[in-house]
Amino acid sequence: MSQSTESHAERGSVSPAVTVSDVTKHYQLGGRVTALDGVSLSLPEGSYTAVMGPSGSGKSTLLNLIGGLDTPDSGTVSVGGTRLDGTDDATRADVRGTEIGFVFQTFDLLPRLTAVQNVALPLTFADWGRAARRDRAAALLGDVGLGDRLDHRPPELSGGQRQRVAIARALAADPSVVLADEPTGNVDTETGGEVLSLLDGLHESGNTVLLVTHARRVAERAQQIVHVRDGAIEGVERLEGDAPTLSVADDPTGGEN
Amino acid sequence: MDLRETFRIAVRSIRAHNLRSALTVLGVVVGIGSVIVFATFGASVQAAVVSQIGQTSANSIFLTPASIESGGQDGPPGAGIADATRPVFTERDVTELGEINGVETVVPQGTVRLSGVSHAGDTVAQRQAIGTTPAAFGDDDIVDGRAFESGAQEVVVNEAARTAFEQNLSVGDTVTLTLADGDRRNATVVGVADGTRGGLLSQFGPSGPQLYLPSEPFYQTSVEGTTDGVRVTAYPQVTVVAEPSQTGTVADAVRAYTPESDAAALLPAEQTVGVQTTGEIVGQIQEILGQLTRFVTGIAVLSLVVGAIGIANITLVSVTERTREIGIMKAVGAQNRDVMQLFLTESALLGTGGAVLGIPVGLVVAWGATRFAEVGFTLALDWMAFAVVVGVAVGVGAGLYPAWRAARVDPIEALRQE
Ligand SMILES: Nc1ncnc2c1ncn2[C@@H]1O[C@H](COP(=O)(O)OP(=O)(O)O)[C@@H](O)[C@H]1O
Ligand SMILES: [Mg+2]
Repeated sequence: MSQSTESHAERGSVSPAVTVSDVTKHYQLGGRVTALDGVSLSLPEGSYTAVMGPSGSGKSTLLNLIGGLDTPDSGTVSVGGTRLDGTDDATRADVRGTEIGFVFQTFDLLPRLTAVQNVALPLTFADWGRAARRDRAAALLGDVGLGDRLDHRPPELSGGQRQRVAIARALAADPSVVLADEPTGNVDTETGGEVLSLLDGLHESGNTVLLVTHARRVAERAQQIVHVRDGAIEGVERLEGDAPTLSVADDPTGGEN
Repeated sequence: MDLRETFRIAVRSIRAHNLRSALTVLGVVVGIGSVIVFATFGASVQAAVVSQIGQTSANSIFLTPASIESGGQDGPPGAGIADATRPVFTERDVTELGEINGVETVVPQGTVRLSGVSHAGDTVAQRQAIGTTPAAFGDDDIVDGRAFESGAQEVVVNEAARTAFEQNLSVGDTVTLTLADGDRRNATVVGVADGTRGGLLSQFGPSGPQLYLPSEPFYQTSVEGTTDGVRVTAYPQVTVVAEPSQTGTVADAVRAYTPESDAAALLPAEQTVGVQTTGEIVGQIQEILGQLTRFVTGIAVLSLVVGAIGIANITLVSVTERTREIGIMKAVGAQNRDVMQLFLTESALLGTGGAVLGIPVGLVVAWGATRFAEVGFTLALDWMAFAVVVGVAVGVGAGLYPAWRAARVDPIEALRQE
């Protein structure tokens, strides 16, 4: 299987953690839906990017392709140097476990596992030892401020606490990129602020973060905003002058939404 | 993913649905339990019957008239019981058989027809007594007193007969026998026996009252002998008791003798003299009981199949309910085989749980059945091992399809589910 590294980081000096090239994705549901149409995108290592667009524009589809949950109909996707298109289930599962950290809108913790077991789950599948798993998970929960909730189960936690557990879980295997799909969609504004601060913190400590949102206020915390509409990238808006740049194929004018 | 963690997660999911899991396990318990019950009970009955015969008549060779079409000596014991009552063995046969090398004694046995037995004014209806010779009683058979003497007006009784009267009999008492033709004879009770060395069928009879009389003078059955016009005494059964370890050669010699015996001459053309050693009879009984046990146990296996369907059903439900969880696990790196392993472990645990609980349950019920049937309790270890293996196999087998379905869950679809 080709593990070709797309080493040529366009226009920037930083190597890309994620490269998406001319990706198309259709869904067959009643009629044929084009979820993504010729999308190209490159996320430099350590970058903080927001994907913004109206509902149904293809944001989640893009995230799922980068996360190896889904495969493109055409085009290429690579994460941490590993190609995800055209690979087998096992390779993608491996990448999901080691290179990707997912944070979902609906938290998606396993209800019967405790917080620490939930955080340790990626390590379980990555064959870490029991003690090491627990130590790592406990430390991460401490980092997100849940050091005193290690053995609580999700039903015993508030929405914000659950999302913090999910963030800790996303970091468990020290992934190349953290993908967050509307992480504040199911929590109130104040709690959402705490969750976003955690994501900011991840970026500050060097993680590559890709955040999907439909709220401009949320997207503005990132370095760049990728505007998506009808399955295509409409433009990239740069918010910090000194940030590593990211490239898109159909070089946009940087249009405001 | 390591097995211990797989176990922990599987146990947790099973316990999340306690009642449902318990009912599923119950289905397997019933299946495994029935297999154990029937197998154990069958083995117990077999062992009891075999040891009963083996102990009392290990060196015996039984001669009875047998139908040729019933397979003669190869037929199942008890086949042609009606034939077996035909009196054909003459005193000459008994003498000739006794002269075979290695024969310890020969016990002829026949039926003395009675209408009743009285003791101290109390009459008990008794249709028959056994007419035989003193040789019928081995050292172990007499529990009190002694064997009767040939030609004497004496009787030996069994325990049931001893206690059949208002006043229990004891050695030295006199009983009055009313013969079938109305004659009355007095006989002195000289001994109490718990069986005889003679007579194949007497091994199986219920332990009802039994009287043993010396064939001289009580046994009157005679046939027109091979010499015209001369009536000779004839018995329907003869038991040849061989010296220990001589049974095989003696049986061969007996078989060689039978074609020239009076019995063979007296029997109609379609009958022959059946010769069976204890070993052969035990073998036949074992075979029949074994077949019966396998048949009934086979039916019990059906209930195990039902238990397996229960596991398959509940595991499928579990996969459907937890589709989203499967999606989450896949999103954080679970391989298809990890998911498969989780669900297989769950179903295997249900099956193993059923086996582990089914074995004691089955054993207790089987034990109760052996008590009820008054036979000793014999463990069918091979069937117990079989039950455990089958329990695990049933769990894994029943879980295969659901687990495969779980492994194939598309994470995208799973995460889109509510
Ligand atoms: N698994 C799927 N099956 C069918 N259609 C889908 C699926 N996922 C997404 N879609 C469709 O693709 C389009 C883009 O969806 P999505 O990426 O979820 O949008 P967003 O996250 O921006 O709201 C929508 O029209 C949606 O209905
Ligand atoms: Mg979405």
